Formats: sequence, C-alpha cells, structure tokens
Amino acid sequence: MGPSLRRHNLNIQAVKMAIKQRKAIIFAISIATAVVLILWKPTVLIYGLQAAGLYAAVAIPMGLVLGIVHIVNLSHGEFMMLASYATYTVCRALGVDPLIALIPAALVTALFGWVVFQLTIRRALKAPELNQLILTFGLAIAFSQIINLIFTSQTYKLSLEYSSMSLDIGDLSFGVWSFVFVAVAVIYAVGLQMFLTKTRTGKAALAVGQNPKGAAIVGIDVYRTYGLVFALAIGLVGAMGALFLTKSAIFPGVGSPFTMKSFSLVAMAGIGNIPGILGASVLLGLAENFLRSFRGTRDWAEIVYFVLIIAVILSRSLKGKKS
Amino acid sequence: MIKLRTTNLTKRFMGLVAVNNVSFSMEEGEILGIIGPNGAGKTTFINLISGIIMPSEGRIEYKGQDITWMPAHERARIGIARTYQLIHPLENLTLIENVMVGSIFARGHSLKEGRRRAENLCHELGLTDLERDTSRLTILEVKKMEIARALANEPEVLFLDEVMAGLNSDETKELIAMVQKIAREKNLAVGVVEHVMGVIRELTHRVIVLEAGELIAEGKYEEVSRNPRVIEAYLGGGAA
Amino acid sequence: MNRTLVRILLILIAVAAVALPAFAGDYPLQVARNIMLYMALAISWDMLLRSGQISFGIAGLFGIGAYAAILGVVRAGMPTWLSIPFAAVFAALVAFLIGFVILRLRAMYFSIVTLALGEIFRIIVHNLHDFTGGPEGVVMQQGVMFGGNASKLYWLVLAGLLVAIAASYWFEKSRIHFALTAIRNNEISAKSSGVDIFRWLLLAFVVTSAIQGMLGGIFVMSYGFAAPDVVFSADFTLLPLAMALLGGVYSTRGPIFGAILLGLVAEWLKLKIPYGHLVVYGIMIIIVILFMPQGLKNLLKPAAKRAEGRSA
Repeated sequence: MGPSLRRHNLNIQAVKMAIKQRKAIIFAISIATAVVLILWKPTVLIYGLQAAGLYAAVAIPMGLVLGIVHIVNLSHGEFMMLASYATYTVCRALGVDPLIALIPAALVTALFGWVVFQLTIRRALKAPELNQLILTFGLAIAFSQIINLIFTSQTYKLSLEYSSMSLDIGDLSFGVWSFVFVAVAVIYAVGLQMFLTKTRTGKAALAVGQNPKGAAIVGIDVYRTYGLVFALAIGLVGAMGALFLTKSAIFPGVGSPFTMKSFSLVAMAGIGNIPGILGASVLLGLAENFLRSFRGTRDWAEIVYFVLIIAVILSRSLKGKKS
Repeated sequence: MIKLRTTNLTKRFMGLVAVNNVSFSMEEGEILGIIGPNGAGKTTFINLISGIIMPSEGRIEYKGQDITWMPAHERARIGIARTYQLIHPLENLTLIENVMVGSIFARGHSLKEGRRRAENLCHELGLTDLERDTSRLTILEVKKMEIARALANEPEVLFLDEVMAGLNSDETKELIAMVQKIAREKNLAVGVVEHVMGVIRELTHRVIVLEAGELIAEGKYEEVSRNPRVIEAYLGGGAA
Repeated sequence: MNRTLVRILLILIAVAAVALPAFAGDYPLQVARNIMLYMALAISWDMLLRSGQISFGIAGLFGIGAYAAILGVVRAGMPTWLSIPFAAVFAALVAFLIGFVILRLRAMYFSIVTLALGEIFRIIVHNLHDFTGGPEGVVMQQGVMFGGNASKLYWLVLAGLLVAIAASYWFEKSRIHFALTAIRNNEISAKSSGVDIFRWLLLAFVVTSAIQGMLGGIFVMSYGFAAPDVVFSADFTLLPLAMALLGGVYSTRGPIFGAILLGLVAEWLKLKIPYGHLVVYGIMIIIVILFMPQGLKNLLKPAAKRAEGRSA
C-alpha cells in the first residue's frame, strides 16, 4: 500500500503543476485578447463584457442549483421572465422604478421558488434524472404559457432615462448602464463563494452538495437545504429579472434562451465551479459580439453558443471516457 | 489448453494503480479463485478482462488471440462472460427475457431459439416461473438469474464476482455444487472472486492472490493460505 | 376470445380512420390531420426513448425534413410525391452523421445537445437566404400537394402515421426491443450480454429521425410553404413529448392515447383562449411526472394484464 500511495501523491503534484501551467496560459491569452480588442475593436470588448455580465449573473444561480441540488432546472430562465413581469406590473401600478423593486422582487421570487420546489421538484428528487429534466421542462412551458395567457405575446418595455446613458471617449460612444450586469455578476460570484465557504448555512449546503448521505448522517436536513439553496438561486434570478427589465423589452419567451445559455456556461465552467462561469461568460460574450461586429457574420452570432455548448459537452464527455 | 492469458496487465485511475503488472493464465476446465483484501483490484481485474474498462498497459489474450482493445460486447460474443457483484437486473424485462438477451445478442440466435435456449438454462439452474418480474425474485433466484444470463453467452471463460455473497450456508452449498457441475459439463474455465474462504477452498482448483493490484501469490488454496506474504496482506489490509 | 375482440375493434378503428373524409367536413379533417401528425411524432420520440435517450431535437429533424422536401421541389424540380421519402432519407443521413458523435453522450447531455442542434439547424436555414429563402421562407409555386384536396391530404398524413406505427410495432416485437430495453436498464450488463450499444442506438436514432423528417416533408407538402420559425417551432418538440408522457411511454399505445386526448383538449382550448392554450401541455407534463409516471395507458389496463402484455 505504501509505495502506491506515495506514487499517488506524486501524481497529484504533477496534476497540480499542470493545472497551474494551464491557468497561466489562459491568463496570458486573455490579456493578449483584451489588448488586441482595445486597439482594434473596442466596442467588441465593451459590449462583449456587458453581455458576459448579463449571462454570468443569470448563469451563476443555475450553477449553484446544479452544484448542490444536482438538478438541471430547465425553467431557470422562465423564473427570470416571471420576475420581470411581476416587477413590470408593480412598477406600472405604483409608478415606481424597477431598481426600487429589485430587493422585493428577489424576495418574492425566492419565496415563489421555494414553493415551486416544495410542490414539484422535491417530489421528483428521487426519480430518475430524466424525470427531473422533463418536470422542469413542463414548469418552463407552464410559466411561459401562463404569462402568454395573461399578457398575450405582446412585448412590454419601460423607458428609463438612466438605462440609455452613454459615454463618449474620442469618437467612441457606448451605453454604460449595462455594466451594472457585470457588477452584479461579480457580486453574485464573490458573494456566493463567501457564503459557501464562510457561513455555517453555506458550509452545510456545500456538504450536502458533495455528499448528501454523509450530510444527512451528521444531522443536516438535506431537503431543507435543497429548498433553501433553490430559493436562494431563484431569488438571485428574480433580482436579475427586475434588472433585466431596466434594459430590455419583455415577452413570454424572453427567458428561455437564458436557460440554454446558463446551462452551457455552467457546463463549460464545470459543475461546482462558480468563478469559472465568469470566465466562460466572457468568452461567450466576446465571441458573439466579435461575430456581430462584421456585416458578413452578424447573423451567425446567435449560433456561437450552440456550437460552444456542443463543443464543450463533447470534449468533456470524451475526456471523461478516457480517464 | 490455455484459454485466457494476461501479460503485465496494468490499470491506473488518475495516478492510482488499481491493477499492477498482473500476468496469469487460465486453463480449460479449471476453476480459479481470485482472492485478496478489499480494494486489492479483483473487480477491476475482471472489468479489464471482460472489456468494461480498458487497460493502461499490458496485454490480454483469449485462445491465442490478442483481445486487449476489443470492446466488451465482442468479448461476450467470442466466449467471455461474467456476473456482476452488484446485480442490476434489466427491470423492464422478465426473468426469462433477462437471460434471453445473452442468447440473442452474444450468440445471435433468433428470438424463438434464444427463448428456447434461455429456458433450458433456467431449468438447468432450477429457476421456475420464468415470466416473473425480476422484482419478485428471491436473492438466490437473482444470483441464479445472473449466472444464467452469463451462461446464455455460451461462454468458454466465465467470471463470477461474489455470487455467493448474501446467501445462507444451504444456498451457498447448492450454488457451489451447481457451479462445479456446470463447469465440468461445459468444460468452462471459471474465475471466482469470493470473500468467504470456505467457498474458495471447496470450489477452486487453484487461486491467485492480489494485493494493492499486484499478484503476490499463486497455487493451491492450501499452499497459498500458508504463504506468509498472503497472511500479512490480509492482516495488514485489515489493520490499515 | 378477448384477443379477437381487440382485433375486431382495431379493424373497425382502422376502417373508420380511412373512411373519415367520407363523413367529416373540412374542419374535423384539419383537426384530425394535426392530431395524427403530432401522434406520429410522439410515437417516434417514444421509440428512441425506449433506449433511455430523451431527445429534445424533434423539431430540428422535423424542420430538416420539411426544408429538404420543399427545397427538393422548388430548387431541384423534384416531383412532390418523391420529396417526402427524400425528406426521410435526408433526415436519416443527417442523423447518421451527427449520431456518430452525439450518441456517445448520455442523459441530460444528450438532451441538451439535441436541443442545441435543432437551434443550429434553424439558424443555418434562417441565414442561408439565397438557398432557403431566409426568415421569410419558401413557397411552392405550384401550390399545395393534391391541389389542396382535403381528403387526399388527410390520407397522406394517415399514411405517415401508419409508417410510424408500423416502425414502432417493429421496434416492439423484434430483437430491437431487447436491445433498447437492455440499454435503458443497464448498459454495462447489456454489453456483457453482447449488445453493441452504439449500433442499436444509431439504428434507433436514424429510424426515428427518418420518421420525423418524413413527417416534416408531409407537413410542408400539405401547406405548400416553409419558414424557419414555422417548421422548427418548439411546438414540434413540446407537444409530442407531452402527448407521449401523458399516454404512457415505452409503447405504441401510450403516445396514441395521449395524442388523441391532448390534441382534442388543446383544439378545444384554442377556440376558447387564443393565447396561452399551450399551458395545458405544461401542466399535463408536471402532473404526469409527479403523480402518474406510468402515464394513462396503465390506468386503462389492470396490473395482471400488464405482465402478460409484456411477455407477449
């Protein structure tokens, strides 16, 4: 046993070295890309980062759910859409700004997420993975169709002055409000990392995510933790729903692309790697905006994330097979 | 005649060596015991031979043919069969249908012929009421079904991974007699992994001992069980 | 005796289905065509599901078939009748090529990738303006097949449905049933029994994709028009999936029941509420998964019979 254990340690060292090396390479490439973009196409960098912030802020909560509750929530984007509609209704009725509604929207959607979890997802946790997938797919349809039923397929938009603010630097002019998404994404990533590693509840949640049976043995209420984590994630998505409304028009199908995008980002980062979602989002945001910046490739920007998701899933699964 | 031979067979998982440089061979009509402490690599060894995982190094030969990189389903077709330690019956198929799968895919029989052969096998093993759902089988019946499923491949080499585990002593005796009878009648080479040394003593002609993935001893059970290195492996394994 | 009764009943249903245009007006025929189209898609989805693979890519292959058919007619001057088998073959070919890669994926990864591929097909068709007509789509100058004769179009869809039912029956009664069930239940055990998992998955994927492509061809030939947002509509994934789940998966019977029931309910709701009538599909999926994962077909059949049906 002795010698093989020592060999094992050596191997771990080698793997760690390789990871460090890879990180350094990725860092160097990103710096180089940023420099090239600033000089050549600064708008790609600006809009790419703004898009990345939006993607990441929506994807991070999904990463949380996947990492701890281990379900792929195909109604993820629909929760954001619901929050946007709820915020819109309240803002219209009371004449308040969606930013004021941000925190209440988060709390209400968190509560709603908790209820949905208790009524549906909780009952399917022991069912085969595919049942969970189909269940959340059903939730997604139900949510978007209920909105369709109430609001029809018409689009709604709030016109807010601050969201169209722009900045001029030389002959470069660009909107700045969307940088708020970048800020939120960073806050989410850092905040969740702190929550999971520093707080008691967060540590318990992490333990449940890594080993639900073990966590149950040491006295953690696994289902309660799942419910809380799910509600927390949906709350974060809810806040994004209110924020999304400041910038974009909403319609019943507005959430569903975010589900796919979020999943592809989480899969790209690797399940359980929340900071990695930020990196993956930047890659996606830049790639999309890069294609969008040329007339010939503008229409193909949309295809980027579908290609990316397939490439990532394939490379991951083939790598997994080998080891 | 040698049916199966491995040369320097090695499997590493992420740097952990599960099977280390194992060379051995199995003869026609021989029942070979594969023993060793928990985590010694016995199941990994069978997984390598049956093609469920691929080796990191080394070579596997079956009847003189190099099968090191052959996919599992093809190995099933040329005559290598095995049972699983954790038996998961195909729950949407009945008892007889579970057994049939080997007949129709490993042997390529028609559904009708496959069913007939599977029925014969089940009768041989004393399984009755063949249209039952697998959820309604006793532990002994599940074990027998697993053996029948492997035998449906009409193999020349058969590995039994802890088929006796969880059975009482009468059931164990019945199954030992059955395995001996089948091995004799079909002239099989049988590899047996068991934790109960009584079973190994009674059932096998020869044993190999694995420890931390390495083959540390080989020979008749009586000789091997007196080997100080084997005794130390078991005691050491228990103490660690 | 029971079996003869079932046979007589089946023959009666078949005769009624074929003869429907003789005594039904245009509107019921139109509804029947819709239901049969979704029913056939539901059956094809279920056929692949029997191997444990959930495809979210029905709309993708349906759309590919639809475009193959209409472009075959419009760009290559293919006769309309030929365009439908061409659509099937084309979709099968696409499935064969992508199958080599994606059938190595399992569970949610397979599902998500099929969904993504469907989107990729849609975007490609959307962007290849010169060849596909772009977002506005393509129109068949010569008009709809059979000059729009409602009875003939009805029979065309019925024929498509019968192809799907026949294929599904073949899957149920041949060794394919054993291969797919073994793969679904336990791949490792299946391998050890000599099942070449990849080969059987590829067969199932190619056959079901061919059916979906063929149905796309039938759809487009009976409307004389294709646009990306129409033929790649998520409805073609969503509705069949809900129908099969409701009726009960892993069978031919389940999707048929489910399609009739959901199809009629949705049609009725569409008249009552023009927006959001699809909500019934979402709710149906949720209820089925939570409360009756076996679907309706098992409610209609006592438990003892279930075992008998399985061994038959």
